[in-house]
Amino acid sequence: MTAAPSNAASAPAVAPDWFAKKHRRGNLIVNPFVPWVMVGLPVAVLVAIVVYPTIWMAYHAFHDTNMMSLFSGNWTFVGWQNFATVLGDDRFLSSVKNLIRYLLFGACLQVVLGVALALILYECIKNNTVRIVLLILLVLPMMLPPSIVGVLWKFLLQADNGGFNHLLINLQLLPANQRIDWLGTRLSLWSITLVDVWQWTALPLLIVYSGRVSLPPAIYEAARVDGASRWLVLRRITLPMLKEVIAIAFIIRFMDAYKFVDHVSVMTQGGPSESSELPVYIAFQKGIREFQVGEAAAQAWLIFAVAAVLITLFLKYMKRVLKAQAIA
Amino acid sequence: MARLELQQVCKGYDRPILDRLSLTVEEGEFFVIVGPSGIGKTTLLRCIAGLEVVDAGRVIFGGKDVTRVPPYRRNAAMTFESYALYPHMTVFENIASPLRARRMDEASVRKAVLEVARLLRIEPLLDRRPHEVSGGQKQRTALGRTLVAKPDVYLLDEPISHLDAKIRHELRRQFHTLQELRRVATVYVTHDYAEALSLGDRIGVMGDGGLVQVGSSRDVFERPNSIFVARHLGQPSINEVPCRLSSDGGLLMLRSLEGNLSFAMNGMQRALLEKARSDVLVGIRPQHIHVANAGSAAQVDNARVEAFEALGATGVLIAETDGVSLTVLTSPEEDFEPGQPVRLGFDVEQFLYFDAVHGRNLQA
Amino acid sequence: MSQSNYRLIKTLLLIFLGIWLVFTLFPLYFMIITSLKPVEEINRMIPTFWPHTLKLSNYAGIFADPGSLKSLADSVIVSVANTALSLLLGTLAGYALARWIRGAAGENLAFWILSNRMFPPVAVIIPMFFLFDSMPWGTDSYFSLIVLYLVFNLPLATWLMMVFFRDAPRELEEAAYLDGFTPLRAFFRVTLPLVFPGMISVAMLCWIFAWNEYLFANLLTGTTVKTFPVHIPTFTLGSQSLWNLIMAFSLVAMLPPVILFIILRRYMVRGLSLGVVKG
Repeated sequence: MTAAPSNAASAPAVAPDWFAKKHRRGNLIVNPFVPWVMVGLPVAVLVAIVVYPTIWMAYHAFHDTNMMSLFSGNWTFVGWQNFATVLGDDRFLSSVKNLIRYLLFGACLQVVLGVALALILYECIKNNTVRIVLLILLVLPMMLPPSIVGVLWKFLLQADNGGFNHLLINLQLLPANQRIDWLGTRLSLWSITLVDVWQWTALPLLIVYSGRVSLPPAIYEAARVDGASRWLVLRRITLPMLKEVIAIAFIIRFMDAYKFVDHVSVMTQGGPSESSELPVYIAFQKGIREFQVGEAAAQAWLIFAVAAVLITLFLKYMKRVLKAQAIA
Repeated sequence: MARLELQQVCKGYDRPILDRLSLTVEEGEFFVIVGPSGIGKTTLLRCIAGLEVVDAGRVIFGGKDVTRVPPYRRNAAMTFESYALYPHMTVFENIASPLRARRMDEASVRKAVLEVARLLRIEPLLDRRPHEVSGGQKQRTALGRTLVAKPDVYLLDEPISHLDAKIRHELRRQFHTLQELRRVATVYVTHDYAEALSLGDRIGVMGDGGLVQVGSSRDVFERPNSIFVARHLGQPSINEVPCRLSSDGGLLMLRSLEGNLSFAMNGMQRALLEKARSDVLVGIRPQHIHVANAGSAAQVDNARVEAFEALGATGVLIAETDGVSLTVLTSPEEDFEPGQPVRLGFDVEQFLYFDAVHGRNLQA
Repeated sequence: MSQSNYRLIKTLLLIFLGIWLVFTLFPLYFMIITSLKPVEEINRMIPTFWPHTLKLSNYAGIFADPGSLKSLADSVIVSVANTALSLLLGTLAGYALARWIRGAAGENLAFWILSNRMFPPVAVIIPMFFLFDSMPWGTDSYFSLIVLYLVFNLPLATWLMMVFFRDAPRELEEAAYLDGFTPLRAFFRVTLPLVFPGMISVAMLCWIFAWNEYLFANLLTGTTVKTFPVHIPTFTLGSQSLWNLIMAFSLVAMLPPVILFIILRRYMVRGLSLGVVKG
């Protein structure tokens, strides 16, 4: 029984031979092949249904593919022309402006509202049953098919006999003889935003509420013993601990919002006269209805690239600031 | 034959943890590994268990090389520091788990589990879930699961560290009496040296990279081969006094580098120290210093009390003399006030001498 | 903060909550009453907030109509099949990513899988439309929807299951290995029971997305396969939408997700909080 020759007081000055030559031996538990197969299956599927379209779209973005050439197969390489066309297109640019407004007053507002409502629900209502019932009611809009929500609001927002206008009239918020033309040119985008807020505020609400529920009560008891005011507790304890959750809710909403066309498709079809068009919707129209595949591909890629960059930047920022475990 | 052998085992992550560690634990032997937290004790156990693959070296159970055998085919059983009890199963099912793996028939399972539960006195808890029992009971459940497996090697990773003192004491007693653990080799890991000294047939002190000293508890305690080992075994910790040798009128004197403590060396120690370099680290265990009453001989007359703790069975006195702080074990009934003068006597024969640079025991 | 101040603020906040609640529930309320009105009442210039006549036969009509029933059945087939597939593949990949594929490779792979969710379905659908059109199964088939819905459900399932597996303590599996269980047996005996609540919430989320999906279904299918979001807009009489039928059917189609949520909300909240807070 020999003891190792090292002096325990200091680390070995030179790394021993075996350590220098050491390579990753893996583990004894599974054949290293197995985990890669396990991951490989879904990856293969995703490659087929996502990577293939991505490459396809990237390819055609540089070609003049349109209705005729698509099926005959003779499309010509046009370099950046599609992108130039898209960026120079007023219609596209105004849709980008629409998108910015939509995201700002939609996704951002939803997160703010969701946080506020979640915290109000949690802090101000102590009866658990009431809380659960209210939570269910508040989260209902999220459960509904977006297309149906679109249809529903189209019905409600009709100018003449739509329920929404008449609700406002009954609440004395609108003079009896006036009707707001929600789906008209001026307001169509805001109506879409309104519907988006109606339906999706529930998601940040649910996420933040879940996060709040799972915060450790010990801290709050300590704060109470210390005599901190509720406002202070909110500002200094609750919100900082929920930072991560709120950021995630924001990312999820943002990731979904910019590519979402169900409401626009169903309610306004981008109209009237393109007033409520969003970039992805235009790409969709161009690709599927007009078969201007080259342009559509360029548009889709532009949108996706910008969004991906923004999201990645935000994630890196989040990772750094919160020092949290990465989403991946 | 159920002897455990480790041959030149190497394991490292971002730095080497086990460096060519070799060890043999005989059949029936209770081997305790003691060392500071984070030194690699758990890593060693995990390598023996097969949960980690060694970078080099061999692991042998009863003559069979199991180095590349996965943990579920090695016949080792381990008690985790965190117990690792299955939360969704009852205590009974937790203990029965190794038997279920072998697809044993229901009747035999019942019999074996009841036997172990009776042994560990947790029979009434068999229908409960892990979160419904106390820490000590959880530990016994984990131990039961380990025992019922009848493995080739028992591995126990700090099984009683997280329990309160009284339960620890009782369970230590149980470890002493459990015959089952004497059937094969047992490796027990702890950071508490008292457990180690009490339980181990042999103990191994673990330092950076491997086992620094292996031997019977008495051996390791009385003849530590380095200051690291001496420091680690013993509570309160050994007093370390850096000294310088000098000749003074024919006498070999040991003078502390700080302060003014000095001892005359003679006889065997003189012979030993004459071979040493001029600086020596002297280790004085607290039990080898005593408070001298008025009238009896004392080497130090001018010490002052810094602090005193009466700890039930003993008293711990920290006395300061000439810039050197010494910890002394006394009777608990004494009463010392800070600042009070005391006289100290030393059992010079029991001093330990370590090389000032490498920490090696000069007498080894 | 003084008591009365606090009370005042609390009241204001509750009023705010109340307003939002009314805003949320009003459309649903209107939907319900519309579904109970006869067509004539709906088309009046000034809509009524309480039905003057109740016409429950709107609902009866739905269940008598084979087209409507088929659309519900089709939705069930597609959503359940896709959920099962997403969950199966997601659990496999999630487990592998949580336990064995570590380091930079693992993180990047997991991130790439998740990032697929960022991809606009619109961009997927254009190529896939043309591709499936040239395939033997065509675009209008159960297969096309079940597979294409994986675009958004598979990354979600994988990511969430990975987080849940990461939360399940490794030591329990290790204890099972030392007990003598192979990794496969240990997985079913120890790991799976631990992540089960998480799996339920993942299944529910995936199912809801699949159930409510409109875009792919509308573009690719319509005859052989007709899920209910595609079927509903067909309730027209000439150019007039039959709002009462539309609302009635919508309510019926809305019920399953809502009921599921009510029953399984605890799992969902736990699942979301585990996945979101930790991940």
